Amino acid sequence: MASATQHRIKKRALKTAHFLGLFLAMSLICIPGLWVVLNSFRPTIEIMAKPPVWMPQSLSLDHYRAMFGGAGEGGIPVMTYFRNSLIISITSTVIALLVGMAGGYAFARYSFKAKGMMFVALMASRAVPGVALSLPLFIIFGRTGIIDTHFGLILVYVAMNVPFTIWLIDGFFRQVPKELAEAAEIDGCTRWQAFWKVEFPVARSGIASAGIFAFLTSWNEYALASQLTRSTTSKTMPVGLLDFTSQFTLNWGGMCALAVLMIIPALLLTFVVQKHLIAGLTFGGVKG
Amino acid sequence: MAQVQLKNVVKKYGALGVVHGVNLDIAEGEFVVLVGPSGCGKSTTLRMVAGLEDITGGDIVIGDRVVNDLPPRERNLAMVFQNYALYPHMTVRENLGFSLKIAKKSQPEIDRAVDEAANILSLTPLLDRKPGALSGGQRQRVAMGRAIVRQPEVFLFDEPLSNLDAKLRTQMRVEIKKLHQRVGSTVIYVTHDQIEAMTLADRIVIMRDGHIVQVGTPLQVFENPVNTFVATFIGSPPMNLLDGTVQAGQVVLADGTTIPLPPGLHIADGRRVQFGVRADNIMPEGHALPPTAHMAFVDMAVTLTEPLGTETLLYATLAGTEIQAKMLNPRPVSPGETMRFGVALDKCHIFDADTGLNLRG
Amino acid sequence: MFRAKLPPWLVLLLPAFIIILAVVAIPLILSLYSSFTPYHLTRPDTLWKWTGSFNYIKAASDANFWKAFGRTVLLLTIALNTEMLLGLGLALMVSKVTRGQRALRTAMMFPMMFSPILVGFQFKFIFNDNVGLVNNALQSLGLTDVAIPWLVDGNLAMFAIIFAEVWTSTSVFAILILAGLFAIPQDPLEAAKVDGCTPWQSFRFVTLPFLMPFIYIAMAIRSLDVARAYDIVQVMTNGGPARRTELLWTLIGRTGYVDARMGYANAMGYIAILMSIGFTIYFFLKLQTARRELGMGEM
Ligand SMILES: Nc1ncnc2c1ncn2[C@@H]1O[C@H](COP(=O)(O)OP(=O)(O)OP(=O)(O)O)[C@@H](O)[C@H]1O
Ligand SMILES: [Mg+2]
Repeated sequence: MASATQHRIKKRALKTAHFLGLFLAMSLICIPGLWVVLNSFRPTIEIMAKPPVWMPQSLSLDHYRAMFGGAGEGGIPVMTYFRNSLIISITSTVIALLVGMAGGYAFARYSFKAKGMMFVALMASRAVPGVALSLPLFIIFGRTGIIDTHFGLILVYVAMNVPFTIWLIDGFFRQVPKELAEAAEIDGCTRWQAFWKVEFPVARSGIASAGIFAFLTSWNEYALASQLTRSTTSKTMPVGLLDFTSQFTLNWGGMCALAVLMIIPALLLTFVVQKHLIAGLTFGGVKG
Repeated sequence: MAQVQLKNVVKKYGALGVVHGVNLDIAEGEFVVLVGPSGCGKSTTLRMVAGLEDITGGDIVIGDRVVNDLPPRERNLAMVFQNYALYPHMTVRENLGFSLKIAKKSQPEIDRAVDEAANILSLTPLLDRKPGALSGGQRQRVAMGRAIVRQPEVFLFDEPLSNLDAKLRTQMRVEIKKLHQRVGSTVIYVTHDQIEAMTLADRIVIMRDGHIVQVGTPLQVFENPVNTFVATFIGSPPMNLLDGTVQAGQVVLADGTTIPLPPGLHIADGRRVQFGVRADNIMPEGHALPPTAHMAFVDMAVTLTEPLGTETLLYATLAGTEIQAKMLNPRPVSPGETMRFGVALDKCHIFDADTGLNLRG
Repeated sequence: MFRAKLPPWLVLLLPAFIIILAVVAIPLILSLYSSFTPYHLTRPDTLWKWTGSFNYIKAASDANFWKAFGRTVLLLTIALNTEMLLGLGLALMVSKVTRGQRALRTAMMFPMMFSPILVGFQFKFIFNDNVGLVNNALQSLGLTDVAIPWLVDGNLAMFAIIFAEVWTSTSVFAILILAGLFAIPQDPLEAAKVDGCTPWQSFRFVTLPFLMPFIYIAMAIRSLDVARAYDIVQVMTNGGPARRTELLWTLIGRTGYVDARMGYANAMGYIAILMSIGFTIYFFLKLQTARRELGMGEM
């Protein structure tokens, strides 16, 4: 019986190790983020205190009040940034999804020469680092006058998101048997109707996951936005974060408040489509 | 070569009991077949022996070790899974040789075992394919092969032949029997197929709803079913059961027809029973086995015939119940024709109408 | 009647190609051209002066450039591998959890929602030598009483950057690998157990081959935007102190925007672009091979 008890002890040890490992990992994942949230509610003096104040003494909404009031913090127009971010992210996501759906459908349903090459070229276009792309875009946008406009940034974000969107959606359309659309056509649908009535609904969760990725990319992008937007008319929130810094100081509490404002929409959206997210990535990528 | 014992083994999924206290002693080298309706817990029992499912209660002994807490690899057994469970990323050859590779056998040794198994199972031309490129039956053969390259103490088979065509199935059945005779390992084998169960088994175990109903040699369970469940489950076609009441040593059926009780049975008057007779023991006069000492005769109208070649299966109605009977040396029978049937009483059974238990004991 | 002649796939792909042409291809051609000129932002006429491969030769003989290049490759190698291993471990641990797994999965995705620039600020503060969370914690626990110069010392700063990068991106790996773990059929794993595998052997011979495509997908996705690290580095150290954390991207950014030497910056940019595309193509090819291994069909 010795080996049976041994097994039991080993099992228990493994269980404990599992729990501890998970606890440690989750702490590492959550603490830096939660720390940001916490600091957005603490007065700057307390954040900067030395020796550190571990137990928050006074929580307040001061940073939020200052942020939305626009007073006292050099009048950072947070709501304008928020609106810019929202307009740019949503518009570019919708357009990227439409363009991506068309492209993904083409890759999934038609065979043509150099398909593999085209696919890789498409992906490679996404791999161009933002900072390297921003140099020539800066020049071109400056010449054509679309620098510092919503339109310019939307255009860039659509181009950034299309390849990945095509990849995910392509994988999903492949999951939908061709016969399904064919059956619908025999039943009297046009090709167009067959797509919207039969293939689109089945591929919906792939489209949802592509959508959230596109949204998060646009919402959080910094390298290009920082060069292509200059004024409050088009600055997005990631760029706005820099308003809280000056040469030598950094308004950490205020920055945290803006950070929370940035995270909340992303968090909500991710939570809503969480299930689609995993399904979308799995199908899009592996079975594709 | 090891004995396998199940002592009061219980399996529960949460509150749902799936196996309720199974007791079974399997001798070294014995070939035991588990049968039972779908969902009765056969696979679960097998998987508990394999160590793939924790047991909720009881003990499992393999050889002389209680293996309740041992992982599968320390139980020295091979298993053929109901749904193949092949490694999709390995070729057939790698699938077959995998367990030997894990056991750190030398490459020539592995090659020899794999080639031999591939030969037995006619898999040689498929050795370099991946499972994705095989048909259902071919996959099943690979799954079989994976078990037989090893020479474990215990073989577990979960419906290993269910996807093969009739010819291949017969062939494989013979191969399994030969394999068992050659290696002499203990075998636990799950099947739905009557013929497989009857031809392969040293002993048959009949399960229902997580209980063992009867254990015995194929002939025992066929000839002496403990209750109506076994009587109708084992044997094809299933045993005919007629409702009736005992009156003065006879069974009175619903329409007043009387059939004498089988010899040696004494049952109190008024008891409600079921009279059980297999198709082989109720035959039309002139197309039957030679009559025995204990015969009874009934007239029945034939409703349907199923010619099977050397014999014909007759469907007839007796006291409102449909009955199947066999006709040897068949002649054409037209539906509606009334024939006189002889019943071999000494092969018949009387079951209690309420409990279903065989009253012969 | 012109439209009718185009094959449908081309019509469908056209919008995508037009946008990518406008936003990626044409600018890249422009930057390729300007990389052969001494183009200076403040002196537009320099765009018309052809200097051939001068900028490239200059970059190739610039020790700072090569240091940044080497550092970038090193950072990517360390970060991607660490993320992969940690993501794998995390996914394995989460997959074993029976109760509350949904909540864990959501928490696991938390860092993905953070803008890289925000991550940069966040860790700049966490690793601040004076009031940062890390030093505060170490000092309060009595592990040290000096202020560790996390963002000042070259190696420590590299470590802090990698830490931040790993923090944001491990969840991408974890999620994809978790999706992979859910997609693994159980029977081959059971067969492996019966075939005599130890848990480690089951993992090595069955689970891992199944996970490989998922790992490559994660690598491919990550390689599409490895340059996100630029945002983090720019905020945390901006390549400093004294170029000790200079990466290709921060070097390009500074040369282009601060020094306004666009031609030279574009030349270096091209090298960065080729490196990124190389990474991407490599992982996509790997992904295809891994899929074929599992018989999952062609791309
Ligand atoms: N993980 C599980 N959770 C709950 N119930 C389960 C689980 N696995 C099996 N069962 C139930 O246990 C019962 C026995 O299942 P088992 O697979 O052993 O049947 P079986 O006799 O092998 O049937 P078949 O002949 O169809 O293969 C079934 O009713 C099944 O629904
Ligand atoms: Mg079963």
